[in-house]
Amino acid sequence: MRTRGAVLLANIITGLALGYVVTNIGFGDYAELNRMFTFQDLRMFLAFAGAVALIVCVFALLRVRRTPGRIHAGVVPGAVLFGTGWAISGGCPAIPIVQVASGYLPALVTIVGVVVGIRLCRWAGTRYFHLDRGSCEL
Amino acid sequence: MSTYWPWWAGAVGLALVTINYTLVTDRSFGVSSAWDRVLHWRRERRLERMEEEFTDDQALVEALAAATAEHFGTGAGAPAAPQAPYQVPYGESQPPPPDVERTPDETASVTGAGPAPLFTQAALLVSVFLGGLIAAFTSGRFQIRYDMGPGFRDLVTADPLTMVVLLFLGGVLVGFGTRLAGGCSSGHGLNGCGRLRPVSIVATAVFFGTAVGVSFLLWKVI
Repeated sequence: MRTRGAVLLANIITGLALGYVVTNIGFGDYAELNRMFTFQDLRMFLAFAGAVALIVCVFALLRVRRTPGRIHAGVVPGAVLFGTGWAISGGCPAIPIVQVASGYLPALVTIVGVVVGIRLCRWAGTRYFHLDRGSCEL
Repeated sequence: MSTYWPWWAGAVGLALVTINYTLVTDRSFGVSSAWDRVLHWRRERRLERMEEEFTDDQALVEALAAATAEHFGTGAGAPAAPQAPYQVPYGESQPPPPDVERTPDETASVTGAGPAPLFTQAALLVSVFLGGLIAAFTSGRFQIRYDMGPGFRDLVTADPLTMVVLLFLGGVLVGFGTRLAGGCSSGHGLNGCGRLRPVSIVATAVFFGTAVGVSFLLWKVI
């Protein structure tokens, strides 16, 4: 089940399911997101934390291999920038896609921003920061 | 306007998506990584071609090693494989075949099963859109809007121009930050934390904590 066809099928099913689940949880709804981050409503937070807890248990039972990853110099600054951007625009990289799919047309601007940011990081990464990630990226 | 899923349904849904992907492909998935690779498709295609050539070379080396071992026997002193001289000193009693077998294992443990092919990453992004579309239509929430909803209007800005500027800047921060940190809420948050990778736990704690801080600022101060 590791052929290219199987990986393609897995990506299509994962994408469809992820878009469906994330939309139905309400991650595309800016008001819900802000209520989660300000702990006014723990529903989405529990959905995320509960998912992580379930995954940890199942992976431990199935002895899924742990991939290595170094805590390189870019992790904390990158996560701070991402957290700020997420709180302002309401988008982690999958969310603007489902926002547009729900009819929020301005989220197209967020997608353009994400594209510019990703290209900027690759450009800056090769010129200015030479991070030793210790493994392939996620 | 229907209500959203209860928390446990969301948790089971997200967990099933992640676990299913891992079991089928033996890989992690990350939306920001998919974005990154699709946006740099020229470079990624070049890397994929190099990888294929490398795999061929590796297969050739392994076939030569097996043929040599068969011809000369697998005794301790036999020069069993082309890569053996720096791994197995003469006189060591360990036979060479385990060395030949161990190499792919080590490669796998360092790189995982290798990155998913580029076209499958593009398929992931398109499928996220279609999945979102299906969810929006089936729940009756689909509505073409030129704003980001009442939440954004009340908490951030009601001015359309400021909204566009902030969404763009926020998007840049998300794109730049996720790639600098090496993952996003799916790559680090679900797949990485699920595997208890220290780097993912640190990244998730920091981006979540920052988002909490900035959200409180937007809610209470600004």
